[in-house]
Amino acid sequence: MLGHHIVSLLRERHPESLISVLDIRTTHNRHEGDGVMYFDGDITSRETVCSVLERARPEVVIHTASPTLMGGSKELFEKVNVGGTRCLLEASAEMGVKAFVYTSSASVVSDGVTDVINADERWPYVPRDLQTEIYSQSKADAEVLVLAANRKGGMLTTAIRPAGIFGEGDVQLVAPMFAAYKAGKTGFQLGDNNNLFDFTYVTNAAHAHLLAAVALLYACHNKIPTPDRRRVDGEAFFITNDQPAYFWDFPRAVWKAAGDTTGIDVKIISKGVGLAIATILEWLWWAAGKEPSLSRRQVKYSCMTRYYNIGKAKERLGYKPIVSLPDGVEKTVKARIYHFLALGYFAWTAR
Amino acid sequence: MPSASELLYYAVHPNQLRSIIQWKVWHSPVHERNAENESRELRRCFYFLDQTSRSFSAVIQELHPELLVPVALFYLILRGLDTVEDDMTIDLAEKEPILRNFYGILDKEGWTYNGNGPKEKDRQLLVEFDVVIAEFSKIKQAYRAIIKDITKRMGNGMADYANNAEHNTNGVNTLKDYDLYCHYVAGLVGEGLTRLFVESGLANPALLDRPHLHESMGCFLQKTNIIRDIREDFDDKRRFWPKAVWSKHVSNFEDLFDKANEDVALNCISEMCLNSLRHADECLFYLAGLKEQSVFNFCAIPQVMAVATLELVFRNPQVYQRNVKITKGDACQLMADSTNLRSVCNIFQAYIRKIHKKNTPKDPNFLDISIACGKIEQFIESIFPSQDPKAIAQARGKPVSAEDAEKAKNDAAARKEMLYLLLAVVGTLLLISFIMVGVAYLAGARFDIALSELRKGKLSPPVPGSEEAQKIIFQHDHGEL
Repeated sequence: MLGHHIVSLLRERHPESLISVLDIRTTHNRHEGDGVMYFDGDITSRETVCSVLERARPEVVIHTASPTLMGGSKELFEKVNVGGTRCLLEASAEMGVKAFVYTSSASVVSDGVTDVINADERWPYVPRDLQTEIYSQSKADAEVLVLAANRKGGMLTTAIRPAGIFGEGDVQLVAPMFAAYKAGKTGFQLGDNNNLFDFTYVTNAAHAHLLAAVALLYACHNKIPTPDRRRVDGEAFFITNDQPAYFWDFPRAVWKAAGDTTGIDVKIISKGVGLAIATILEWLWWAAGKEPSLSRRQVKYSCMTRYYNIGKAKERLGYKPIVSLPDGVEKTVKARIYHFLALGYFAWTAR
Repeated sequence: MPSASELLYYAVHPNQLRSIIQWKVWHSPVHERNAENESRELRRCFYFLDQTSRSFSAVIQELHPELLVPVALFYLILRGLDTVEDDMTIDLAEKEPILRNFYGILDKEGWTYNGNGPKEKDRQLLVEFDVVIAEFSKIKQAYRAIIKDITKRMGNGMADYANNAEHNTNGVNTLKDYDLYCHYVAGLVGEGLTRLFVESGLANPALLDRPHLHESMGCFLQKTNIIRDIREDFDDKRRFWPKAVWSKHVSNFEDLFDKANEDVALNCISEMCLNSLRHADECLFYLAGLKEQSVFNFCAIPQVMAVATLELVFRNPQVYQRNVKITKGDACQLMADSTNLRSVCNIFQAYIRKIHKKNTPKDPNFLDISIACGKIEQFIESIFPSQDPKAIAQARGKPVSAEDAEKAKNDAAARKEMLYLLLAVVGTLLLISFIMVGVAYLAGARFDIALSELRKGKLSPPVPGSEEAQKIIFQHDHGEL
């Protein structure tokens, strides 16, 4: 999803640029017209990557590929996120790529349980033994590789750490919320909802990637070394909408945009009770061999504070969100509703 | 004397009464005004200060001696200006030159004015304005220059509004007009006070480099009062809520007061509160620049009152019916607590969260309000961080040695063993009790009698076979017979 939005923004801002897209499947979300070449392939295969780079000869590589948070096993995350990144880094350096922008994750400093309050880039990675999310661990491992590769073989690297990306075509954040809406589960709240949370509209994340790419190219062509406090290469940047909101207010805004009329008179389940229910459900569903509808992981996640201070990105990348959170929610929900309307229309015409 | 209803109120709200008593009994002012060394004129000035400002008089009188008189006079001068502007019985032709020249009047020894209508509550201040002018001439030249500059600009601003027929009939139109109006009546006061503080050396001069901060200090108070006073202003035929806001919710301003429109009227309050809320973080930023205790209290107290008022008016339908006010007990508690930045931030956070709790998805500005609250919380977090990356790194950073790991493992195992042991003991006890009770029950024990006797407070059984024992058995088995 992010890659698609980066291509859109890139074509809008730099129509002269030649864009190549490499993905495991490139049948979805294709851009019409010239200027974008599509390659189907696996980033963990050195051969594939090299052959694509050979044909495209890019100055900049933006690496956004990753299995979704919920959609991967430990092996898959390691193979794609760590192995794939290593493969891309080595091939890119070899092929004379100048700038390498890696999509990391804001979760590299979050263990998925403990609060992360107004964190900036001084916050340390979560050590391996404390990390409960295998996804986050693999993103952190890959980020270390990317930042370590900076200025090796003349290539500059940087890592963008977006927090909670959502937008048109999003399957991770907004899609489950729609499912909850459809199932009529909007009347519940886990925890006291005083926990602030950062969400990032996808266009803003795409914008940050392009800013980073431009900054790297500038540093690459500029003979005078950038002073340390302005440096982008070899650095990581948290990216958010710079508008932390109370956790449950975000899904409520989504549900409302979709037509929900539930007010604030929802059933509040405290964190403790939520955990107890989830534990029982997990055991019961485990006995039945199914996935429970409420897991302890979800309870902890929705009761956790997680927001960031993005001062560094503002200062060094000149980043500022270009779409506000309410506008982003509006656009996302509209696109989703149109998408379903269109599906309905095709289903109807097909009859 | 408190009225009967007040007495009743405090009888059921002891906490409120407690706050008031604590404030009255234990509060010790940072600085105390010494009335004995004051001239007759100055004492008269403080008399007027008490008369004209219910809320400000107390905090002004606790100010540092260097600022006490200048700030008190500044207040009285602006109050005098306001008394001319507010009085609709004065002809515009007479009013305008007074407003525009009020700063010059400050040099006119003996100037007084009795053109106010008899109903004007503060008319006496202008009738005896010579006492203010007399004292004004005695303060430092630098303070006089600041006060005159603000008086001049505010007087001209007021005269422009008085001349503006559109404003007088239709009230404030756009959001820009609203901000400009608040600038003239409150933002300028913020600027004047800040310049006085800096001039006296009691505040950080950097505050003057960020003029939007003192602008916000004034606007946050003014805008919150404008929301609270909607009913009063409406009855006086004045409109300060910008049309740009209310016209989104109702087509006629009057419709806001119709109970049939309560839902949209509440959304309108929310949007007004949201506009006000956006100044809150800058107010805290400003307060962070104040070091002298009395100046801090002087600035912080009105701000915490404002945030408490904002919470009170947020989505409160009563606002359209009457002038809602925070209780006296809450006010005393807030004043007692507003002594340092940390506790002021805590108060802000508490009220911000209360606002957030009342925020509802039915409101068109639902997410914007959530974000505005979040922004204030994030700002507080930036002044007083609750997490320290170094501490996190240190806590985790200790490389776990094999020995430590072994020890931790053993500890965990020992804890687990202990838990199992406890469970086993409790389980055994429960089982034995269960069996004993069960056997007794089967053997015909009368638990019903035992329980009801226990409930009556008799802890020991009567002697078996005694008359008392017979009586009890009889009662239970034959009831009322």
